[in-house]
Amino acid sequence: MLLAVLTVVQNAAAQQRNFVACPFVRDTRTVPCFLAEYEGETYFLAVQQDISADQYPPQLLHEVLVEGTIEPGPRVCGGIPLKPVKLSVLPELNPACNTILPAEPGIDAPPMRRQAGPSSRQAPAAAPPAAPVRPAPPFVEREWKVLYDFDSAFLFSRDTRTVSQAAEYAVASKAKHIDIVAGRGATLLSSGKVLIEGGAVASQRAERVVTLLKGLGADPASVNVRVVSAPAQPDGKTDPENRVVSIRVSP
Amino acid sequence: MWAAAVAVLAASAALALAQQTAGTAWISAGATGVLPAQAEFPTPTGRVGLLLSGGPIEMKGHPFFTPLGSNGRACVTCHQPAYGMSFSAEAARDLWKRTGGKDPLFAAVDGANCPNLPQEQEKSHSLLLERGLIRVFLPVPKNAEFTINLVSDPTGCNTSPTYGLDSPTPTVSVYRRPRMAANLKYVTNPAPRIVLKLGALADTDPATGRPVGMNFMADAREATLMTQARNAALGHEEAQSVTDEQLRKIVEFENQVYVAQIFDRSAGSLAEPGGPQALGPAAMAAHRPGVLGDNDYDSVFLNFESWKKGDASAQEQFRASVARGADLFMFRQFWLRDVTHINSIGLGNPLKRTCATCHNHQMTGQDLSAGFVDLGTTNYPRWTEPPLYSDARDLPVFKITCKPEVQPHPYLGRVIYTSDPGRALISGRCADVGSIVMQQFRGLSARAPYFSNGSAKNLREVVDYYDRRFDMKLSEAEKQDLINFLGVL
Repeated sequence: MLLAVLTVVQNAAAQQRNFVACPFVRDTRTVPCFLAEYEGETYFLAVQQDISADQYPPQLLHEVLVEGTIEPGPRVCGGIPLKPVKLSVLPELNPACNTILPAEPGIDAPPMRRQAGPSSRQAPAAAPPAAPVRPAPPFVEREWKVLYDFDSAFLFSRDTRTVSQAAEYAVASKAKHIDIVAGRGATLLSSGKVLIEGGAVASQRAERVVTLLKGLGADPASVNVRVVSAPAQPDGKTDPENRVVSIRVSP
Repeated sequence: MWAAAVAVLAASAALALAQQTAGTAWISAGATGVLPAQAEFPTPTGRVGLLLSGGPIEMKGHPFFTPLGSNGRACVTCHQPAYGMSFSAEAARDLWKRTGGKDPLFAAVDGANCPNLPQEQEKSHSLLLERGLIRVFLPVPKNAEFTINLVSDPTGCNTSPTYGLDSPTPTVSVYRRPRMAANLKYVTNPAPRIVLKLGALADTDPATGRPVGMNFMADAREATLMTQARNAALGHEEAQSVTDEQLRKIVEFENQVYVAQIFDRSAGSLAEPGGPQALGPAAMAAHRPGVLGDNDYDSVFLNFESWKKGDASAQEQFRASVARGADLFMFRQFWLRDVTHINSIGLGNPLKRTCATCHNHQMTGQDLSAGFVDLGTTNYPRWTEPPLYSDARDLPVFKITCKPEVQPHPYLGRVIYTSDPGRALISGRCADVGSIVMQQFRGLSARAPYFSNGSAKNLREVVDYYDRRFDMKLSEAEKQDLINFLGVL
């Protein structure tokens, strides 16, 4: 039994890829793909979409921190797909990360709703879109989490949607407590090296989320903030979850 | 109707524009008479149309046309109906010649390269005369994430012991084009509460607390037309005070002004029935703001289908070229890359898209979101200035050094050379260095030169800059189509 568990853990670790590399771009007939090489193998990272997407592509002129698990199945855009995968654009410039490859026959991007040009009208939905759901009683304690790119406190569109939901719930429930806990992470790379986020990033994350919550109507008197300055211990698997701000709303 | 409007203007010219300088349509501060509800003014390629949706305006005593301060200027000094509610550098040169440099446009405070220069000399106003630039002087923000050092100072203002960076009130002087005070329902269209480019709350109207669009002024430093008018009166006009009633009347006037090209020498009438629906000032007045046009079914400048089936006549050929230019604007893909607040907000770098990705606000071509981006016009090495050392360089150059603990500029890093830090002089953020709010595309023919630093003398130079900047590899024919398209807006 113990051996079986160990094997499963080893297999999971064998499927995990945590590395820092220059991303490169592969043009296709449709949207471009973003890929990276690690230890002689090419990995598919992302495809161009828009800001409504859950996964944002990396950026040339910057290295990318890739934290992902190999997904079984065919290659995508010439690379091994990773899913789930967390991509972090590292803040400092690296002019060497500047490769765009031309489209090649037989290498296609996965189908995407948004093409490279202007958007097209989507097929009408079977049913009219549901009206936005406003928070309604009974109000119970709820928690939202904002996960960050490595060494970043920037709130992307997907993140501000999360904070907005929390703020809306806090206002509707007349929250007595809004507890913010901001963390700072570290990442265990597949090479064994550990990357640790900058010392101030947790407090920067907390500050931005609190400012946004208050600006969206949350009662400032109900907001409690705790900044965990020490980086979480990395395990090479769940490290992205430590780059987080949690928002717990208690009515 | 427009011919009638021209006639109305002509008939009333003696009365309405009594203080115009002879031979031009320049309206001097303090003008009396009536500005008609509809008017057309000549431009190098045709005529620009003006429409006042609230009807004609009596200029006498109106605070937009009347000096409010000590230097003789009024709002109209820099926002001229005949020049797309801005002014052209050519018009400024003409005004200098006709007035011997005495017009209040050339006021020392910001109509000169620096107030300490000999004001009677033409070269002291070279940036205004050559590029149409007004001096904008701002303090370094207290929260600045960077230090700023001067690299070169052709105007002498940034090294001036009175006006410069080391003066008792440390000040950065940059030089920018006046923006057109027209079509403002689009420009001031309210933004969502959260600015996606910042991941933070939008600025708010101090009077109402409501979020504002952050889409006018090159650096979005003013929240509303009201705050802009107040600070313009106190600054540009050197007024000691301005009343709420004066501000209300200025803003009320500005909100009814619509401007667009209305006649093109090659295309003919731009506002005829059955023609492209986005052209002419009446279309600007009729359309609703806040529509996202980055799509293939309700595009930024609607459609030009009726001009695509041209016959062999010169006019029809030109119209077909305009229609091709509109399609290039909407559909010609290229690698859009290294643009702060576009590539850096989750879209990826590069982004395979089109002009309409950024210039997406229907009818104006601004960004529907807060419009500041670092296209590169002011930051080395992609700036519009000479790439190599040049004695002829006329703009200041600053060295911005980002503090180690802050996020660097996404595509230029921690040391940036710039002729205008743009939004960063307001936000204090390193990532904002060189970010400038996009301008609207209307009435362009009336108000050259282009870009915030007046570096593009004509539309060809605008198109050439984009072609180089994004390696678009536009053909000569494509460039001409784009120029023709932009020219009829």
